[in-house]
Amino acid sequence: MRKIENVICPVCGSLCDDITVYVEDNRVVEVENTCAVGRAKFLNYGLHRKPKPLIRKNGELKEASIEEAVRRSAEILTESKYPILYGWSSTSCEAIRVGLELAEEVGGIIDNTSTVCHGPSILSIQDVGIPSCTLGQLRHRADLVIYWGSDPYSAHPRHIERYTVFSEGRFQKSGWRSFIRRLSGKLVKKRLSRVAELILRRKLTFPEEKYALPPYFISEEERKLVVVDVRKTRTAEVADYFLQVKPNTDYEVLQALRMLVNDQDLEVDEVAGIPVRTLEDLADLMISCDFGILFFGVGLTMSKGKLRNVDAALSLVRDLNKRTKFLIMPMRGHYNVTGANVVFTWQTGYPYAVDFSLGYPRYNPGETSVVDILRRGECDAGLVVASDPVSNFPASAAKTLVDNPLIVIDPDVTPTSMMADVVFPSAYIGIEAEGTAYRMDHVPLRLKKVVEPPPNCLPDQEILARILREVRRIRRG
Amino acid sequence: MGILISPKRLFDVPVHARCITPDTFSTLSLSEILNLEVHEGNRKRKLKELFEVSTGPYTSPEGFTIWMKGDFSKVRYIGYGMSTGKIVLEGVAGMHLGEEMKGGFIQVYGDAGSWVGSMMQGGRIEVFGDVGDYTGAAYRGSGRGMRGGEIIVHGNALNETGCYMRGGLIKVYGSVGQFTGMHMHGGTIMVGGETEGRDGAEMTKGKIVILGRVPSLLPTFKIEAIKPRVKVGEERVEGPFYMFTGDLAENGEGKLYVSKNNNPHLKEFEKYLSPVKVK
Repeated sequence: MRKIENVICPVCGSLCDDITVYVEDNRVVEVENTCAVGRAKFLNYGLHRKPKPLIRKNGELKEASIEEAVRRSAEILTESKYPILYGWSSTSCEAIRVGLELAEEVGGIIDNTSTVCHGPSILSIQDVGIPSCTLGQLRHRADLVIYWGSDPYSAHPRHIERYTVFSEGRFQKSGWRSFIRRLSGKLVKKRLSRVAELILRRKLTFPEEKYALPPYFISEEERKLVVVDVRKTRTAEVADYFLQVKPNTDYEVLQALRMLVNDQDLEVDEVAGIPVRTLEDLADLMISCDFGILFFGVGLTMSKGKLRNVDAALSLVRDLNKRTKFLIMPMRGHYNVTGANVVFTWQTGYPYAVDFSLGYPRYNPGETSVVDILRRGECDAGLVVASDPVSNFPASAAKTLVDNPLIVIDPDVTPTSMMADVVFPSAYIGIEAEGTAYRMDHVPLRLKKVVEPPPNCLPDQEILARILREVRRIRRG
Repeated sequence: MGILISPKRLFDVPVHARCITPDTFSTLSLSEILNLEVHEGNRKRKLKELFEVSTGPYTSPEGFTIWMKGDFSKVRYIGYGMSTGKIVLEGVAGMHLGEEMKGGFIQVYGDAGSWVGSMMQGGRIEVFGDVGDYTGAAYRGSGRGMRGGEIIVHGNALNETGCYMRGGLIKVYGSVGQFTGMHMHGGTIMVGGETEGRDGAEMTKGKIVILGRVPSLLPTFKIEAIKPRVKVGEERVEGPFYMFTGDLAENGEGKLYVSKNNNPHLKEFEKYLSPVKVK
């Protein structure tokens, strides 16, 4: 059994880099330090992967050689007047770079999955700007952590433990002690009330004030965690304070907070159902911290208002920086979605939704973003890399995608790959192939290769390079 | 003297035709116009391959006239940067109609796509149907939207009408989506119908007049007065109107006029108005 240390987990945007992997007979047999999601990927990857590329013939997917699949893909892309190239967030930066070259060569639209997650954040960041930092800095200094519209306990399971509230920083104590104290306090209260109930022989009810900051910040030295969400998530359960907002009212709440941070009075008594007094308490907490961080998730970017919610959040942090040090960071989902934005920007100038159809890169989300193009039925071929749009796009968009010729490069069998015309089973980046990925704070990390891929499963980069060579050969005649 | 254009077939991919402007056409002969370059998806085409083009006796007081008939819903950048003349479109117009327009007149007897008159500086656009999002807005990442001219929409508009607007006039006689006048720095927007809310978000200057119902106002607006009428461009619109200022989160001085009669739920704001002194 071979032990490989400091392996990077290719699942979420946290890119935990302390994983230990045990390999026996070219198979991962045990992992340490991962969350449940990472463990499941390392131990069960490739269970359903097809051994060879597939090409649809007479309505059925038949096995074919790599050369044949590459030729068919190149034909589809060169014949197309408006192809889309989508995915890119779960593959390496090297593959994305080749993908961009391919998009330019075939005059297509290239878009990554930020179009359905943090695309609006990017638009607002371009409008307002972003004061951000690395996760290492937060770990050592942040004393107030706010998660707005994101649930790291479910989506980035080790984020709180490694980078924020429950991590022990050099200059900032971890918040786990106050969490334990709060938990035991709750337990004691429950037991005492039970004893009282037994003595008094009647049921006791304690009125719970819905919106009030907890009176106990016993240790001012410890980090505080505030969660703002539409429902009580698992993260909210460990938070020092949880503010429940009505769905689709984040914009109003953020704007009201901005006014309070700027020492202005609100004329209303409550904002979106939240008493202004509660918001004043929260604004006080934000101003009085030494080093605050606001993490926002898809709850902000994909609810009503979209980019303008993020606009308000970024402006709030800008206003807070007049009073104290405050930073903001989007909670990126896929492990290399930040890398996709970085490579897109480095190559074309734009982070996503890039249109090469005129020969030069153009960018106008809404016009050149993949979901909108598909919903208007404008594309006539598609290439999907490491993504599953058929499962999560609107039905009308998915219909256009599968009605036209579709190429899928994905190690997994997904609804998209089952409806494709050409399927390349590829190697898993970070397990069977090396590659670079960017963590959510824009820190590039080198993913390791721990096992050998099966013989017919090439890395995404290699498959794309072969398609690109074939496209160029066809173009030159 | 003018030009008549109609599409030869229904397009399935976007057609980029920045050349369809009176400025370009008026200086060229018909044969030169026929050979102008347009893009159909990623293919370069000549105008004559996609469109039926002929000359005709179309005149208007604005000067050189282009008469367009048919479905142009996939044709983008019609009247891009035009400064003179007139375009009359009977049918559906695509995105970016009259972008960066400086003068002249575009009339659409049908619907138009998003980004109608974005970043326009002068001239007039009149759409008799509905329009999409970002009417009179700015290009992505730019803070300079519409700076002059006039956009009149007789149907409905979608979200972020007049985003980053700095001057000029937008009139929508139907209803609009949310974030009307987002980041507005100047100019006037009038909405005849109802809105989806968040009107004037983060505006710093300018004027928004809403004659229909608003579901709610942003908490960052402050009531100033009740006005009997308000001026929109050259005309006076009879009220009464609640006058709000904002967006206070941006220290804004924008004016938001909301019809009093159509918004009885805003009556609670009246308590914040200072009492009138009786002599």
